Amino acid sequence: MRSLAILREAIVTARSQPVASALTILMITGMVLAVMLTTGRTVGAEQQVLGSLDDLGTRSIVIRAESSAGVTSSVLDRIAVVDGIEWAAAFTSAVDATNTLVLDGTKVATRYAYGSHLDILGIPASSPDPGHLAYASSGALERLGLPDVAGSITLTTGTQYGVGGQLTTPDFLAPFEPLVLIPQPTSAPVDDAVNVVIVIADSPELVAPVSDAVLSVIGADDPTKVTVQTSEALAELRGIIQGQLGAFSRGLVVILLAVTGALVAIILFGLVMMRRKDFGRRRALGASRRLIVGLLLLQTGALGLVGTGLGVAASSLALVASSDPLPSTSFILALSTLTLVTALLAAVAPAVAASRREPIRELRVP
Amino acid sequence: MNEQLEAAAADHNPSRVLLEAQDLTFAYRANAHPILEGWSAKFLSGTTTALTGPSGRGKSTLLYLLGLMLRPAAGDILVDGRATTGLRDVQNAQIRAGYFGFVFQDAALDPSRTVLDNVTESSLYRGTDRKKAAVRARDLLERFNVGVPPARRPGQVSGGQAQRIALCRALIHEPQILLADEPTGNLDPESSAVVVEGMISHSRTGAAVVIVTHSPEVAAACDREIRL
Repeated sequence: MRSLAILREAIVTARSQPVASALTILMITGMVLAVMLTTGRTVGAEQQVLGSLDDLGTRSIVIRAESSAGVTSSVLDRIAVVDGIEWAAAFTSAVDATNTLVLDGTKVATRYAYGSHLDILGIPASSPDPGHLAYASSGALERLGLPDVAGSITLTTGTQYGVGGQLTTPDFLAPFEPLVLIPQPTSAPVDDAVNVVIVIADSPELVAPVSDAVLSVIGADDPTKVTVQTSEALAELRGIIQGQLGAFSRGLVVILLAVTGALVAIILFGLVMMRRKDFGRRRALGASRRLIVGLLLLQTGALGLVGTGLGVAASSLALVASSDPLPSTSFILALSTLTLVTALLAAVAPAVAASRREPIRELRVP
Repeated sequence: MNEQLEAAAADHNPSRVLLEAQDLTFAYRANAHPILEGWSAKFLSGTTTALTGPSGRGKSTLLYLLGLMLRPAAGDILVDGRATTGLRDVQNAQIRAGYFGFVFQDAALDPSRTVLDNVTESSLYRGTDRKKAAVRARDLLERFNVGVPPARRPGQVSGGQAQRIALCRALIHEPQILLADEPTGNLDPESSAVVVEGMISHSRTGAAVVIVTHSPEVAAACDREIRL
Protein backbone atom coordinates (compact mmCIF):
# COMPACT_ATOMS: atom_id res chain seq x y z
CA MET A 1 0.00 0.00 0.00
CA ARG A 2 2.78 2.39 1.00
CA SER A 3 4.80 1.38 -2.05
CA LEU A 4 1.87 2.39 -4.23
CA ALA A 5 1.63 5.73 -2.41
CA ILE A 6 5.35 6.30 -2.99
CA LEU A 7 5.02 5.37 -6.66
CA ARG A 8 2.07 7.70 -7.00
CA GLU A 9 4.05 10.48 -5.31
CA ALA A 10 6.98 9.90 -7.70
CA ILE A 11 4.69 10.14 -10.73
CA VAL A 12 2.84 13.20 -9.41
CA THR A 13 6.19 14.86 -8.61
CA ALA A 14 7.44 14.13 -12.13
CA ARG A 15 4.27 15.65 -13.57
CA SER A 16 4.61 18.71 -11.37
CA GLN A 17 8.05 19.41 -12.90
CA PRO A 18 7.11 19.45 -16.58
CA VAL A 19 10.27 21.06 -17.94
CA ALA A 20 12.76 18.81 -16.16
CA SER A 21 10.61 15.75 -16.81
CA ALA A 22 10.22 16.61 -20.50
CA LEU A 23 13.98 17.14 -20.80
CA THR A 24 14.71 13.79 -19.15
CA ILE A 25 12.20 12.01 -21.39
CA LEU A 26 13.65 13.80 -24.42
CA MET A 27 17.19 12.68 -23.55
CA ILE A 28 16.13 9.08 -23.08
CA THR A 29 13.94 9.07 -26.19
CA GLY A 30 16.80 10.59 -28.16
CA MET A 31 19.19 7.97 -26.89
CA VAL A 32 16.88 5.09 -27.80
CA LEU A 33 16.25 6.68 -31.21
CA ALA A 34 19.96 7.09 -31.84
CA VAL A 35 20.73 3.51 -30.87
CA MET A 36 17.79 2.05 -32.79
CA LEU A 37 18.49 4.05 -35.96
CA THR A 38 22.21 3.25 -35.95
CA THR A 39 23.03 0.10 -34.03
CA GLY A 40 19.46 -1.20 -34.21
CA ARG A 41 19.43 -0.80 -37.97
CA THR A 42 22.84 -2.52 -38.21
CA VAL A 43 21.73 -5.30 -35.90
CA GLY A 44 18.53 -5.72 -37.90
CA ALA A 45 20.54 -6.05 -41.10
CA GLU A 46 23.01 -8.33 -39.34
CA GLN A 47 20.22 -10.53 -38.06
CA GLN A 48 18.74 -10.67 -41.53
CA VAL A 49 22.09 -11.71 -43.04
CA LEU A 50 22.76 -14.18 -40.25
CA GLY A 51 19.21 -15.46 -40.57
CA SER A 52 19.89 -16.26 -44.19
CA LEU A 53 23.18 -17.89 -43.28
CA ASP A 54 21.51 -19.82 -40.49
CA ASP A 55 19.00 -21.30 -42.90
CA LEU A 56 18.87 -25.07 -43.01
CA GLY A 57 21.04 -25.14 -46.13
CA THR A 58 23.90 -23.50 -44.29
CA ARG A 59 23.78 -26.07 -41.52
CA SER A 60 23.45 -29.08 -43.79
CA ILE A 61 25.87 -31.96 -44.13
CA VAL A 62 25.35 -34.02 -47.28
CA ILE A 63 26.99 -37.46 -47.30
CA ARG A 64 27.03 -39.27 -50.62
CA ALA A 65 27.89 -42.94 -50.70
CA GLU A 66 28.40 -45.10 -53.74
CA SER A 67 26.13 -48.14 -53.87
CA SER A 68 29.08 -50.37 -53.09
CA ALA A 69 29.99 -48.35 -49.98
CA GLY A 70 27.64 -50.45 -47.87
CA VAL A 71 25.80 -47.59 -46.17
CA THR A 72 22.28 -48.61 -45.14
CA SER A 73 19.22 -46.88 -43.73
CA SER A 74 20.11 -48.16 -40.26
CA VAL A 75 22.67 -45.37 -40.18
CA LEU A 76 19.84 -43.13 -38.98
CA ASP A 77 19.57 -45.09 -35.71
CA ARG A 78 23.26 -44.48 -35.05
CA ILE A 79 23.04 -40.82 -36.05
CA ALA A 80 20.13 -40.36 -33.62
CA VAL A 81 22.47 -40.67 -30.65
CA VAL A 82 24.80 -37.90 -31.87
CA ASP A 83 24.28 -34.55 -30.10
CA GLY A 84 23.85 -31.28 -31.99
CA ILE A 85 21.65 -32.63 -34.78
CA GLU A 86 18.36 -31.01 -35.65
CA TRP A 87 17.28 -33.30 -38.48
CA ALA A 88 18.49 -36.27 -40.47
CA ALA A 89 17.22 -38.39 -43.35
CA ALA A 90 18.54 -40.94 -45.80
CA PHE A 91 17.72 -41.51 -49.45
CA THR A 92 18.34 -44.33 -51.89
CA SER A 93 19.81 -43.90 -55.34
CA ALA A 94 17.45 -42.52 -57.95
CA VAL A 95 15.13 -44.69 -59.99
CA ASP A 96 13.36 -43.17 -62.98
CA ALA A 97 9.61 -42.84 -62.82
CA THR A 98 6.93 -41.72 -65.26
CA ASN A 99 3.26 -40.86 -65.06
CA THR A 100 1.47 -44.25 -65.08
CA LEU A 101 -0.89 -42.95 -67.74
CA VAL A 102 1.97 -41.70 -69.95
CA LEU A 103 4.60 -44.39 -69.65
CA ASP A 104 6.72 -42.90 -72.41
CA GLY A 105 6.47 -39.47 -70.86
CA THR A 106 9.19 -37.48 -69.14
CA LYS A 107 11.19 -39.50 -66.64
CA VAL A 108 11.78 -38.06 -63.19
CA ALA A 109 14.32 -39.33 -60.65
CA THR A 110 12.58 -40.92 -57.67
CA ARG A 111 14.14 -41.93 -54.35
CA TYR A 112 13.00 -43.89 -51.33
CA ALA A 113 13.26 -41.74 -48.23
CA TYR A 114 14.01 -42.80 -44.63
CA GLY A 115 13.62 -40.68 -41.57
CA SER A 116 11.19 -39.94 -38.76
CA HIS A 117 10.74 -36.22 -39.40
CA LEU A 118 9.98 -36.02 -43.09
CA ASP A 119 7.08 -33.71 -42.27
CA ILE A 120 9.39 -30.69 -42.81
CA LEU A 121 9.27 -31.68 -46.51
CA GLY A 122 5.50 -31.50 -46.52
CA ILE A 123 5.04 -35.26 -46.11
CA PRO A 124 2.33 -36.10 -43.55
CA ALA A 125 3.69 -37.53 -40.29
CA SER A 126 1.26 -40.42 -40.55
CA SER A 127 0.70 -41.72 -44.08
CA PRO A 128 -2.72 -43.22 -45.02
CA ASP A 129 -0.88 -45.96 -46.91
CA PRO A 130 2.64 -46.24 -45.51
CA GLY A 131 5.32 -47.06 -48.05
CA HIS A 132 2.98 -46.92 -51.02
CA LEU A 133 2.61 -43.21 -51.70
CA ALA A 134 4.95 -40.86 -53.53
CA TYR A 135 5.36 -37.15 -52.91
CA ALA A 136 6.63 -34.86 -55.64
CA SER A 137 7.86 -31.30 -55.83
CA SER A 138 5.98 -28.84 -58.02
CA GLY A 139 8.72 -29.12 -60.66
CA ALA A 140 8.47 -32.88 -60.64
CA LEU A 141 4.64 -32.83 -60.80
CA GLU A 142 4.85 -30.51 -63.79
CA ARG A 143 7.26 -32.82 -65.61
CA LEU A 144 5.16 -35.84 -64.79
CA GLY A 145 2.05 -34.11 -66.08
CA LEU A 146 0.32 -34.30 -62.72
CA PRO A 147 -0.46 -30.63 -62.00
CA ASP A 148 -3.53 -31.58 -59.92
CA VAL A 149 -1.39 -33.64 -57.49
CA ALA A 150 -3.48 -36.68 -58.27
CA GLY A 151 -2.67 -39.89 -60.11
CA SER A 152 0.15 -42.37 -59.92
CA ILE A 153 3.70 -42.98 -61.06
CA THR A 154 5.39 -46.13 -62.33
CA LEU A 155 9.07 -46.82 -61.70
CA THR A 156 11.25 -48.43 -64.35
CA THR A 157 11.14 -51.46 -62.07
CA GLY A 158 7.42 -51.64 -62.81
CA THR A 159 6.24 -50.76 -59.31
CA GLN A 160 3.40 -48.25 -59.09
CA TYR A 161 2.87 -45.63 -56.41
CA GLY A 162 -0.05 -43.29 -55.89
CA VAL A 163 0.78 -39.59 -55.62
CA GLY A 164 0.09 -38.60 -51.99
CA GLY A 165 0.88 -34.90 -52.15
CA GLN A 166 3.24 -32.13 -53.04
CA LEU A 167 6.70 -31.77 -51.52
CA THR A 168 8.16 -28.59 -50.16
CA THR A 169 11.74 -28.61 -51.33
CA PRO A 170 14.11 -27.05 -48.78
CA ASP A 171 17.39 -25.47 -49.91
CA PHE A 172 19.42 -28.52 -48.97
CA LEU A 173 17.39 -30.74 -51.33
CA ALA A 174 17.44 -28.23 -54.20
CA PRO A 175 20.33 -30.09 -55.95
CA PHE A 176 18.03 -33.12 -56.20
CA GLU A 177 15.27 -31.28 -58.09
CA PRO A 178 12.96 -32.30 -59.71
CA LEU A 179 12.29 -34.40 -56.65
CA VAL A 180 10.03 -37.37 -56.05
CA LEU A 181 10.25 -39.20 -52.71
CA ILE A 182 8.65 -42.39 -51.52
CA PRO A 183 8.78 -42.29 -47.72
CA GLN A 184 9.36 -45.64 -46.09
CA PRO A 185 7.64 -46.59 -42.84
CA THR A 186 9.78 -46.10 -39.74
CA SER A 187 7.96 -48.69 -37.65
CA ALA A 188 9.42 -51.80 -39.31
CA PRO A 189 13.16 -52.46 -38.95
CA VAL A 190 14.78 -51.73 -42.29
CA ASP A 191 18.31 -51.97 -43.53
CA ASP A 192 18.12 -50.90 -47.16
CA ALA A 193 21.12 -49.52 -49.01
CA VAL A 194 21.10 -45.72 -49.15
CA ASN A 195 23.20 -43.37 -51.24
CA VAL A 196 22.54 -40.00 -49.67
CA VAL A 197 22.40 -39.07 -45.99
CA ILE A 198 21.51 -35.49 -45.09
CA VAL A 199 22.09 -34.16 -41.60
CA ILE A 200 21.16 -30.68 -40.34
CA ALA A 201 23.25 -29.43 -37.40
CA ASP A 202 21.67 -27.39 -34.60
CA SER A 203 23.87 -24.39 -35.43
CA PRO A 204 26.47 -23.40 -38.03
CA GLU A 205 29.27 -23.74 -35.48
CA LEU A 206 28.39 -27.40 -34.98
CA VAL A 207 28.64 -28.33 -38.66
CA ALA A 208 32.29 -29.42 -38.44
CA PRO A 209 32.08 -31.52 -35.23
CA VAL A 210 28.71 -33.03 -36.21
CA SER A 211 30.13 -33.90 -39.63
CA ASP A 212 33.04 -35.75 -37.97
CA ALA A 213 30.69 -37.53 -35.56
CA VAL A 214 28.32 -38.63 -38.33
CA LEU A 215 31.20 -39.95 -40.43
CA SER A 216 32.39 -41.98 -37.47
CA VAL A 217 29.03 -43.79 -37.26
CA ILE A 218 28.26 -43.99 -40.99
CA GLY A 219 29.18 -47.66 -41.01
CA ALA A 220 30.55 -47.75 -44.58
CA ASP A 221 32.25 -50.95 -45.72
CA ASP A 222 34.54 -48.82 -47.85
CA PRO A 223 35.01 -45.29 -46.49
CA THR A 224 36.79 -44.18 -49.66
CA LYS A 225 33.45 -44.42 -51.45
CA VAL A 226 31.88 -41.88 -49.13
CA THR A 227 32.12 -38.13 -49.74
CA VAL A 228 30.98 -35.34 -47.46
CA GLN A 229 29.80 -31.90 -48.48
CA THR A 230 29.34 -29.31 -45.72
CA SER A 231 28.77 -25.58 -45.41
CA GLU A 232 31.70 -25.13 -43.03
CA ALA A 233 33.07 -22.20 -45.03
CA LEU A 234 29.75 -20.40 -44.69
CA ALA A 235 29.76 -21.06 -40.96
CA GLU A 236 33.18 -19.42 -40.71
CA LEU A 237 31.95 -16.48 -42.80
CA ARG A 238 29.01 -16.18 -40.42
CA GLY A 239 31.35 -15.96 -37.45
CA ILE A 240 33.39 -13.23 -39.15
CA ILE A 241 30.30 -11.16 -40.03
CA GLN A 242 28.82 -11.55 -36.55
CA GLY A 243 32.09 -10.64 -34.85
CA GLN A 244 32.66 -7.51 -36.93
CA LEU A 245 29.13 -6.18 -36.75
CA GLY A 246 28.85 -7.07 -33.07
CA ALA A 247 32.00 -5.18 -32.09
CA PHE A 248 30.90 -2.07 -34.01
CA SER A 249 27.41 -2.16 -32.51
CA ARG A 250 28.60 -2.67 -28.95
CA GLY A 251 31.03 0.24 -29.17
CA LEU A 252 28.37 2.60 -30.44
CA VAL A 253 25.85 1.54 -27.81
CA VAL A 254 28.36 2.03 -25.00
CA ILE A 255 29.17 5.56 -26.20
CA LEU A 256 25.50 6.50 -26.55
CA LEU A 257 24.63 5.05 -23.14
CA ALA A 258 27.49 6.94 -21.51
CA VAL A 259 26.47 10.23 -23.13
CA THR A 260 22.81 9.76 -22.20
CA GLY A 261 23.69 8.69 -18.67
CA ALA A 262 25.79 11.83 -18.22
CA LEU A 263 23.04 14.06 -19.60
CA VAL A 264 20.39 12.49 -17.39
CA ALA A 265 22.67 12.89 -14.36
CA ILE A 266 23.24 16.56 -15.22
CA ILE A 267 19.51 17.21 -15.60
CA LEU A 268 18.74 15.49 -12.32
CA PHE A 269 21.55 17.32 -10.52
CA GLY A 270 20.11 20.56 -11.85
CA LEU A 271 16.68 19.47 -10.66
CA VAL A 272 18.02 18.66 -7.19
CA MET A 273 19.80 22.02 -6.96
CA MET A 274 16.67 23.86 -8.08
CA ARG A 275 14.53 21.99 -5.58
CA ARG A 276 16.81 22.02 -2.55
CA LYS A 277 14.04 23.47 -0.44
CA ASP A 278 11.67 20.73 -1.58
CA PHE A 279 13.96 18.00 -0.34
CA GLY A 280 14.73 19.90 2.88
CA ARG A 281 11.00 20.22 3.57
CA ARG A 282 10.40 16.55 2.87
CA ARG A 283 13.17 15.60 5.28
CA ALA A 284 11.74 17.87 7.97
CA LEU A 285 8.27 16.41 7.54
CA GLY A 286 9.52 12.89 8.13
CA ALA A 287 10.97 11.57 4.88
CA SER A 288 13.99 9.36 5.45
CA ARG A 289 17.03 9.62 3.19
CA ARG A 290 16.13 6.23 1.81
CA LEU A 291 12.67 7.47 0.88
CA ILE A 292 14.07 10.55 -0.87
CA VAL A 293 16.47 8.36 -2.87
CA GLY A 294 13.64 5.95 -3.67
CA LEU A 295 11.36 8.79 -4.80
CA LEU A 296 13.94 10.22 -7.19
CA LEU A 297 14.83 6.79 -8.56
CA LEU A 298 11.16 5.93 -9.07
CA GLN A 299 10.62 9.30 -10.71
CA THR A 300 13.56 8.67 -13.05
CA GLY A 301 12.36 5.13 -13.68
CA ALA A 302 8.89 6.37 -14.64
CA LEU A 303 10.36 9.00 -16.98
CA GLY A 304 12.76 6.38 -18.33
CA LEU A 305 9.89 4.05 -19.13
CA VAL A 306 8.03 6.79 -20.99
CA GLY A 307 11.19 7.89 -22.83
CA THR A 308 12.11 4.34 -23.76
CA GLY A 309 8.60 3.57 -24.96
CA LEU A 310 8.50 6.71 -27.07
CA GLY A 311 11.98 6.03 -28.44
CA VAL A 312 11.18 2.44 -29.39
CA ALA A 313 7.87 3.43 -30.99
CA ALA A 314 9.33 6.35 -32.96
CA SER A 315 12.40 4.45 -34.15
CA SER A 316 10.37 1.38 -35.12
CA LEU A 317 8.08 3.58 -37.19
CA ALA A 318 11.10 5.25 -38.80
CA LEU A 319 12.73 1.90 -39.62
CA VAL A 320 9.51 0.51 -41.06
CA ALA A 321 8.96 3.71 -43.08
CA SER A 322 12.46 3.48 -44.56
CA SER A 323 12.01 -0.26 -45.27
CA ASP A 324 14.94 -1.12 -43.02
CA PRO A 325 14.88 -4.35 -41.05
CA LEU A 326 13.79 -4.07 -37.43
CA PRO A 327 16.14 -5.53 -34.84
CA SER A 328 14.84 -8.54 -32.93
CA THR A 329 12.52 -8.25 -29.93
CA SER A 330 15.32 -9.45 -27.68
CA PHE A 331 17.53 -6.58 -28.91
CA ILE A 332 14.76 -4.05 -28.24
CA LEU A 333 14.11 -5.51 -24.78
CA ALA A 334 17.83 -5.50 -23.99
CA LEU A 335 18.17 -1.91 -25.19
CA SER A 336 15.14 -0.83 -23.13
CA THR A 337 16.52 -2.54 -20.02
CA LEU A 338 19.96 -1.06 -20.57
CA THR A 339 18.48 2.41 -21.08
CA LEU A 340 16.45 2.16 -17.88
CA VAL A 341 19.42 0.87 -15.91
CA THR A 342 21.59 3.70 -17.30
CA ALA A 343 19.00 6.31 -16.35
CA LEU A 344 18.63 4.83 -12.86
CA LEU A 345 22.40 4.65 -12.35
CA ALA A 346 22.70 8.25 -13.52
CA ALA A 347 20.04 9.20 -10.96
CA VAL A 348 21.78 7.57 -7.99
CA ALA A 349 24.27 10.38 -7.31
CA PRO A 350 21.69 13.21 -7.63
CA ALA A 351 19.28 11.20 -5.47
CA VAL A 352 21.87 10.73 -2.74
CA ALA A 353 22.72 14.44 -2.96
CA ALA A 354 19.01 15.27 -2.59
CA SER A 355 18.66 12.97 0.41
CA ARG A 356 21.51 14.78 2.16
CA ARG A 357 19.96 18.25 1.98
CA GLU A 358 19.88 19.55 5.53
CA PRO A 359 16.49 21.07 6.37
CA ILE A 360 18.04 23.86 8.41
CA ARG A 361 20.12 25.03 5.45
CA GLU A 362 17.20 24.94 3.03
CA LEU A 363 14.31 26.12 5.17
CA ARG A 364 15.78 28.90 7.28
CA VAL A 365 15.35 32.42 6.00
CA PRO A 366 18.50 34.46 6.71
CA MET B 1 -4.47 39.72 19.45
CA ASN B 2 -3.31 39.71 23.07
CA GLU B 3 -6.78 39.07 24.43
CA GLN B 4 -7.33 36.14 22.15
CA LEU B 5 -3.93 34.66 23.00
CA GLU B 6 -4.43 35.19 26.73
CA ALA B 7 -7.80 33.45 26.51
CA ALA B 8 -6.28 30.55 24.67
CA ALA B 9 -3.44 30.32 27.20
CA ALA B 10 -5.74 30.44 30.20
CA ASP B 11 -6.43 26.74 30.47
CA HIS B 12 -3.63 24.24 30.35
CA ASN B 13 -2.73 21.11 32.20
CA PRO B 14 0.97 20.24 31.98
CA SER B 15 1.80 16.65 32.68
CA ARG B 16 4.40 14.34 31.14
CA VAL B 17 7.67 15.18 29.46
CA LEU B 18 7.27 14.75 25.72
CA LEU B 19 10.56 16.27 24.64
CA GLU B 20 13.77 16.64 26.57
CA ALA B 21 17.18 18.05 25.72
CA GLN B 22 19.99 16.63 27.83
CA ASP B 23 23.36 18.45 27.92
CA LEU B 24 23.19 19.41 24.26
CA THR B 25 26.33 20.64 22.62
CA PHE B 26 26.41 21.63 18.99
CA ALA B 27 28.77 23.36 16.55
CA TYR B 28 28.41 23.61 12.79
CA ARG B 29 32.11 22.79 12.28
CA ALA B 30 34.31 20.48 14.27
CA ASN B 31 36.73 23.15 15.51
CA ALA B 32 34.27 26.05 15.73
CA HIS B 33 33.02 27.51 18.98
CA PRO B 34 29.83 25.63 19.96
CA ILE B 35 26.54 27.46 19.44
CA LEU B 36 25.08 25.40 22.27
CA GLU B 37 27.05 23.88 25.10
CA GLY B 38 25.60 21.61 27.78
CA TRP B 39 22.07 22.89 27.19
CA SER B 40 19.18 21.07 28.87
CA ALA B 41 15.43 21.58 29.04
CA LYS B 42 12.20 19.64 29.31
CA PHE B 43 9.07 20.29 27.26
CA LEU B 44 5.87 19.08 28.80
CA SER B 45 2.64 18.00 27.21
CA GLY B 46 0.03 20.73 27.14
CA THR B 47 2.65 23.44 27.38
CA THR B 48 3.67 26.14 24.93
CA THR B 49 7.27 27.27 25.20
CA ALA B 50 8.74 30.32 23.52
CA LEU B 51 12.45 30.24 22.65
CA THR B 52 13.62 33.84 22.53
CA GLY B 53 16.87 35.76 22.41
CA PRO B 54 19.00 37.83 20.08
CA SER B 55 19.83 36.64 16.61
CA GLY B 56 22.77 34.25 16.37
CA ARG B 57 22.25 32.64 19.76
CA GLY B 58 21.18 29.34 18.21
CA LYS B 59 17.41 29.42 18.65
CA SER B 60 16.66 27.92 15.25
CA THR B 61 19.60 25.56 15.56
CA LEU B 62 18.16 24.36 18.87
CA LEU B 63 14.74 23.90 17.26
CA TYR B 64 16.20 21.80 14.44
CA LEU B 65 18.17 19.79 17.01
CA LEU B 66 14.97 19.19 18.98
CA GLY B 67 13.31 18.15 15.71
CA LEU B 68 16.05 15.56 15.07
CA MET B 69 17.12 17.33 11.90
CA LEU B 70 20.60 18.01 13.25
CA ARG B 71 22.73 15.67 15.32
CA PRO B 72 24.23 17.09 18.53
CA ALA B 73 27.99 16.81 19.05
CA ALA B 74 27.21 15.73 22.60
CA GLY B 75 24.12 15.16 24.71
CA ASP B 76 20.83 13.61 23.74
CA ILE B 77 17.28 14.41 22.69
CA LEU B 78 14.60 12.29 24.32
CA VAL B 79 11.29 12.04 22.48
CA ASP B 80 8.55 10.71 24.73
CA GLY B 81 11.28 9.25 26.91
CA ARG B 82 13.16 7.59 24.05
CA ALA B 83 16.80 8.53 23.51
CA THR B 84 17.52 9.43 19.90
CA THR B 85 21.30 9.76 19.82
CA GLY B 86 22.73 6.93 17.79
CA LEU B 87 19.48 6.14 16.02
CA ARG B 88 19.71 5.55 12.30
CA ASP B 89 18.38 8.14 9.88
CA VAL B 90 15.34 6.05 9.03
CA GLN B 91 14.46 5.72 12.72
CA ASN B 92 14.82 9.46 13.27
CA ALA B 93 12.64 10.06 10.22
CA GLN B 94 9.98 7.74 11.63
CA ILE B 95 10.01 9.66 14.93
CA ARG B 96 9.78 12.97 13.06
CA ALA B 97 6.86 11.73 10.99
CA GLY B 98 5.15 10.13 13.98
CA TYR B 99 5.60 12.73 16.73
CA PHE B 100 6.40 16.08 15.16
CA GLY B 101 4.69 18.83 13.30
CA PHE B 102 6.72 21.74 11.90
CA VAL B 103 5.90 25.30 10.98
CA PHE B 104 8.71 27.04 9.14
CA GLN B 105 9.44 30.73 8.89
CA ASP B 106 8.34 31.10 5.28
CA ALA B 107 5.73 28.33 5.13
CA ALA B 108 7.91 26.29 2.75
CA LEU B 109 5.03 25.06 0.63
CA ASP B 110 5.61 23.15 -2.58
CA PRO B 111 4.55 25.59 -5.31
CA SER B 112 4.10 22.81 -7.85
CA ARG B 113 1.43 20.98 -5.83
CA THR B 114 -2.05 21.94 -4.76
CA VAL B 115 -2.89 23.33 -1.35
CA LEU B 116 -4.52 20.00 -0.45
CA ASP B 117 -1.45 18.04 -1.55
CA ASN B 118 0.73 20.31 0.56
CA VAL B 119 -1.39 19.84 3.66
CA THR B 120 -1.57 16.06 3.30
CA GLU B 121 2.08 15.59 2.30
CA SER B 122 3.27 14.08 5.56
CA SER B 123 0.76 11.22 5.31
CA LEU B 124 3.16 9.74 2.76
CA TYR B 125 5.99 9.75 5.29
CA ARG B 126 3.78 8.45 8.09
CA GLY B 127 2.36 5.76 5.86
CA THR B 128 -1.21 6.76 6.66
CA ASP B 129 -4.26 6.91 4.43
CA ARG B 130 -4.16 9.98 2.24
CA LYS B 131 -7.94 10.02 1.70
CA LYS B 132 -8.58 10.28 5.44
CA ALA B 133 -5.88 12.94 5.65
CA ALA B 134 -7.61 14.86 2.85
CA VAL B 135 -10.87 14.94 4.82
CA ARG B 136 -9.10 16.32 7.88
CA ALA B 137 -7.12 18.73 5.70
CA ARG B 138 -10.32 20.25 4.36
CA ASP B 139 -11.60 20.65 7.94
CA LEU B 140 -8.39 22.36 9.02
CA LEU B 141 -8.36 24.68 6.00
CA GLU B 142 -11.88 25.71 6.94
CA ARG B 143 -11.11 25.98 10.67
CA PHE B 144 -8.20 28.31 10.05
CA ASN B 145 -10.20 30.26 7.53
CA VAL B 146 -7.56 29.89 4.84
CA GLY B 147 -10.01 31.03 2.20
CA VAL B 148 -8.24 29.27 -0.67
CA PRO B 149 -9.72 26.43 -2.74
CA PRO B 150 -7.86 23.21 -1.87
CA ALA B 151 -7.12 22.58 -5.56
CA ARG B 152 -5.30 25.89 -5.97
CA ARG B 153 -1.52 26.11 -6.02
CA PRO B 154 0.27 28.00 -3.26
CA GLY B 155 1.89 30.40 -5.72
CA GLN B 156 -1.45 32.18 -5.93
CA VAL B 157 -1.96 32.77 -2.18
CA SER B 158 -0.82 35.53 0.19
CA GLY B 159 1.90 35.10 2.82
CA GLY B 160 -0.66 34.94 5.60
CA GLN B 161 -2.69 32.32 3.80
CA ALA B 162 0.48 30.33 3.06
CA GLN B 163 1.43 30.25 6.73
CA ARG B 164 -2.08 29.13 7.69
CA ILE B 165 -1.77 26.36 5.12
CA ALA B 166 1.60 25.46 6.66
CA LEU B 167 -0.09 25.32 10.09
CA CYS B 168 -2.74 22.98 8.68
CA ARG B 169 0.06 20.81 7.30
CA ALA B 170 1.74 20.76 10.70
CA LEU B 171 -1.48 19.81 12.50
CA ILE B 172 -2.81 17.31 9.96
CA HIS B 173 -1.79 14.31 12.04
CA GLU B 174 -2.34 15.95 15.44
CA PRO B 175 1.34 15.78 16.37
CA GLN B 176 2.32 15.39 20.02
CA ILE B 177 5.14 17.85 19.51
CA LEU B 178 4.80 21.00 17.43
CA LEU B 179 7.89 23.01 16.54
CA ALA B 180 7.69 26.42 14.90
CA ASP B 181 10.55 28.59 13.65
CA GLU B 182 9.51 32.25 13.76
CA PRO B 183 6.10 31.38 12.34
CA THR B 184 4.80 34.93 12.52
CA GLY B 185 7.96 36.66 11.31
CA ASN B 186 6.49 37.75 7.98
CA LEU B 187 2.81 37.94 8.86
CA ASP B 188 0.28 40.68 9.39
CA PRO B 189 -1.23 40.88 12.90
CA GLU B 190 -4.42 39.07 11.96
CA SER B 191 -2.64 36.13 10.38
CA SER B 192 -0.17 36.07 13.29
CA ALA B 193 -3.04 35.79 15.74
CA VAL B 194 -4.64 32.93 13.80
CA VAL B 195 -1.38 31.01 13.59
CA VAL B 196 -0.35 31.47 17.24
CA GLU B 197 -3.87 30.74 18.42
CA GLY B 198 -3.86 27.57 16.41
CA MET B 199 -0.62 26.43 17.98
CA ILE B 200 -1.69 27.26 21.52
CA SER B 201 -5.02 25.53 20.98
CA HIS B 202 -3.12 22.51 19.82
CA SER B 203 -1.05 22.49 23.00
CA ARG B 204 -4.31 22.35 24.92
CA THR B 205 -4.96 18.96 23.35
CA GLY B 206 -1.91 17.66 25.20
CA ALA B 207 0.86 18.53 22.78
CA ALA B 208 4.17 20.15 23.60
CA VAL B 209 4.61 23.27 21.47
CA VAL B 210 7.94 25.05 21.02
CA ILE B 211 8.02 28.37 19.19
CA VAL B 212 11.15 30.27 18.22
CA THR B 213 10.11 33.92 18.13
CA HIS B 214 11.32 37.50 18.28
CA SER B 215 7.82 38.70 19.02
CA PRO B 216 7.24 39.72 22.64
CA GLU B 217 3.50 39.27 22.09
CA VAL B 218 3.90 35.70 20.96
CA ALA B 219 6.31 34.98 23.82
CA ALA B 220 3.85 36.45 26.26
CA ALA B 221 1.08 34.22 24.95
CA CYS B 222 3.15 31.13 25.63
CA ASP B 223 3.14 29.28 28.95
CA ARG B 224 6.83 29.83 29.45
CA GLU B 225 9.77 31.52 27.83
CA ILE B 226 13.31 30.27 27.52
CA ARG B 227 15.85 32.95 26.63
CA LEU B 228 19.02 31.97 24.89
